[in-house]
Order: sequence, then C-alpha cells, then structure tokens
Amino acid sequence: MNKLTYFPGCSAHGTSEEFDHTLKLVMKTLDVQMEEIPDWNCCGATSAHVMTENLALALPMRNLVLAEKLENKTMGIACASCYSRMKGTKKHLDENPEQAKRINSTVIDEGEYQGTVEIKSMLQYCFEEIGLETIKSKVTKSLSGLKVACYYGCLLTRPKDVTQFDSPEYPMSMDLLMEALGAKAMEFDFKTECCGASFSISNTEVVESLTGKILEVAKESGAHLIVVACPLCQSNLDMRQPDIEKHSGKKLDIPVMYFTQLMALAFGYPEKELRLPKHIVPVEAALKHIGDPVPEPEKVKKTKKAVEAESEVE
Amino acid sequence: MITLGLLEKNTFLEAVNKKSGANVLECYQCGKCVSTCPVSSYMDFPPREIMQMIKLGLKEESYMANSMWFCLTCSACSGRCPREIDIPAVMEAIRHLAIEENYRSENKKVKDIRKFHDIFLDMIKRYGRNYELRMMAEFNIRTRNLFKDMHLAPKALLKGKIPIGHESTKSAKAIQRMFKLAGKLEKEKR
Repeated sequence: MNKLTYFPGCSAHGTSEEFDHTLKLVMKTLDVQMEEIPDWNCCGATSAHVMTENLALALPMRNLVLAEKLENKTMGIACASCYSRMKGTKKHLDENPEQAKRINSTVIDEGEYQGTVEIKSMLQYCFEEIGLETIKSKVTKSLSGLKVACYYGCLLTRPKDVTQFDSPEYPMSMDLLMEALGAKAMEFDFKTECCGASFSISNTEVVESLTGKILEVAKESGAHLIVVACPLCQSNLDMRQPDIEKHSGKKLDIPVMYFTQLMALAFGYPEKELRLPKHIVPVEAALKHIGDPVPEPEKVKKTKKAVEAESEVE
Repeated sequence: MITLGLLEKNTFLEAVNKKSGANVLECYQCGKCVSTCPVSSYMDFPPREIMQMIKLGLKEESYMANSMWFCLTCSACSGRCPREIDIPAVMEAIRHLAIEENYRSENKKVKDIRKFHDIFLDMIKRYGRNYELRMMAEFNIRTRNLFKDMHLAPKALLKGKIPIGHESTKSAKAIQRMFKLAGKLEKEKR
C-alpha cells in the first residue's frame, strides 16, 4: 500500500466535492492510503499573490510545515490552483533561504520549514507514481465508445520550471490516462488555454468569452464531454455554460467532468457515486455513448501532393 | 515624464527588476506575449507596451494601467517569450509596487477585481479557508450589484453545486497571527 499526503484545497470541500469524493474512491481501488494534512488552511489561491508578497508565501508555507510533520513525504494536491501556489512557493522558498526564514517567523508556532515534501498534482501522481499499466489493470468497465476532450487549463503544466510536468503547450498525460480507461481522447487545440479563473466573479464577461471559445473548440473536436483536473476550470466551463449559450446563441450542451469521476466509473463504481446531479450541464446523455461501436481506425489517405513528394524523394 | 536612461537613473526599472527577479531590458519588443495573452485585448497597455513603459521609466502610467490587474498569471506569455522573461512576475511586481505606493485606479473593472481579492483574503482571515457562497454574496453587496448571478443561484444551490455551509481551520488564532506578522513584514521592507 502506498501512502500519500493529501491537500484537498477549499473547493474540494465545497464546489468540487464530487472531485474529492471520486478521487478517494479511485485511490482506494489503486491501493493508495491518503492522509489529509491536519488542520490545513487555504493556500491563498488567486488572491493572496495578487495583493501581497509575504502572505502569499506564508499561507502555503504553513501547510508545507504541517505536511512535513507527517511520515510520508509525497504530497498530492487536487486543485490546480493550490498545486501551483504550493509548488511555486516551495520553489521560491528553497531558492531564497533568507526570505524563507523571515516568512517562517509568521508560522513558527507550527514548526520550522525544512523543504522535504515533494509536491504533485493528482493527475501527475496517477501518471507518474501509479502508472498507466496499473490503472489499466483496474478497469472493469471500459469507457470505449466515449469521446472526450481533455482540458488541462493553465496551471497544471505552466510555468514549466515550477510544475516540471508534461508539455506546457500540448500536454498528453490526461489524454493517455483516458485512453487507458478505454475512452477516445480527441485532438483538442484549446487544452491549455486559460478559462479566466477567478474572474468568474469579478469580471464575468471575460470568463464567458474565454470559456466560450474553449467550449466551442471542444464541441467541434467531436467530443461527447470535456474532462478536467481543476475545480475552477470545471465550475467555469460547467456553471457559466447556460449563460454563454444564451449570449452567443449557439447550442453547446457539452458536460464537464473530473478525470477521477471517469476513473471511478471505469473502475466499476456505480453511477450514483459520481455525484452527477451536481452538474449544471447534465452528464447522463453523454455517458450513454459508452459501449458505442468503435469504428476501425481509418487508413490515412495519402493526398496527391504527398504521393508526388514521395515519388520525388525516390 | 520620459527619462532617457543615459541622462537620468531609471529607478522604476531597477525597482521592477529587483522585485520580479526578471530583467525587463532583455525585452526586444517582438510582441509574442501580446498575441499569446488571453486577456491582452482587455488591457489598456498590453504586456509588450508595459515592458517598454518600464524601460522608459514611465512609473505613474504603469501604476495606473489596468494591465497588471487583468493579468491572470496563466504563464502562457513567459512560456513563449523568446527572451524567457518572467512577464507574470513583472506584472506582479508593478502591481505590488502600485499597492505599496498607494496608487489606486478609478477604473470600475480594476476596482471590482481589487474588491474581489480583498473579500477572498477576508474569508481566509476569518475562516482559514474560503467560504465560496459568502464570498460571492459579499462581492455583490460591496459592488452594489445585488442581482449579479442570482439567476444561477436556485439551480446551483438546489443541485448542491455551491454548498451553503462552510468549514474553518481549528487554529483560527494561528491564521490571524500569520496575517498580522505577514502584514508587518510587508511594511518593514518598504
């Protein structure tokens, strides 16, 4: 049994409770024992670093110090925004030991910062630590027939020197994970475009514009649904969708699920465990595509130009 | 006022470079950041122009721009910058400097964005964690826009998408102490 220190983040106990719930189910099947950081606090997310430098480091630091007290030294983080703040803070503290000492004085009651915990997003943990083969071996209900567009957003792979994971331009880890479950991952050019994040509340029209484009391109890809690994992406793409449809006049109707919900489904958990009623854009119709006959992969027809080019080479 | 580097020391450039850890002088104005940035069309000065303004020492103009408030820190620009400049860090530096030096834009959007962040931090200070529903409600109250997103409320609440209750950290005192001490550190370095 593997052990994992777990930082859920505020939304995992709020708007993205279905992410947290299915993640726990999936980890149970994968024989990973999750230990939540006792009495963790908000990492400061979008706001602390916008307004202040020191608090933006102090908030994640308290969590890091609390995590260091646990026996296991790998931390998995559900939310992409928390992941970015925690991992970015750790990098900054490790590179600036003087400042780390100063910031440590604000949370010194919790202990001294050591920098001994390794941070991974839950997607990264599944991909790197558990591995696709193991995941494949746990699939009892293949998702074959289901076409998905994997949306990573900004912070899971960017900035590269912080995340150290996958490609910042065209990542494939979630696509490969979905294929391991039997689903078909579609080509999707907007997989790392920004959804507008916290502007959802303070600057809604920006989010509607950015999210609208992402949804449209996902729809055009032929996907039945969008798969995400971030609570903020999920709520922007899902909750804002009816308004986007109203304002643009275009029907989108494309559900947005967490990758853990699909993993749980493929691992044989009943649909009621996925907490589907929480979705604003209903999911059920899309999931009916599971079991659709999958056409044989088409042989790529060579264009006239390609044939000509080849014969020239010869 | 435009300062010509050679004649006068560009203290603004120095302050931004020091705070961000980037070297703004390396920017050769290719504009890739602008074409990459998802929100550059909302900025009064897109990233490329801000970089040039810093080089020219246009401090007040930079502080009063909305650009750094619109920056989402998505890091798309820095990933593609041929000079590998950490542009989000530069944006963050001018934002922090503007706050420290008490520059306040009267732009409605900037004011709303600032209010949102204030409320978010207020939630953490109070509960140690974010209380999403209350944050949304407070934003509507403080921006005097009570009915914003109200049409989403029945569905989101009934479906349990946005929970009504909330959690707190047990160590409320530790959090408040952290806020106090971090605030003190912020003042010390000025």
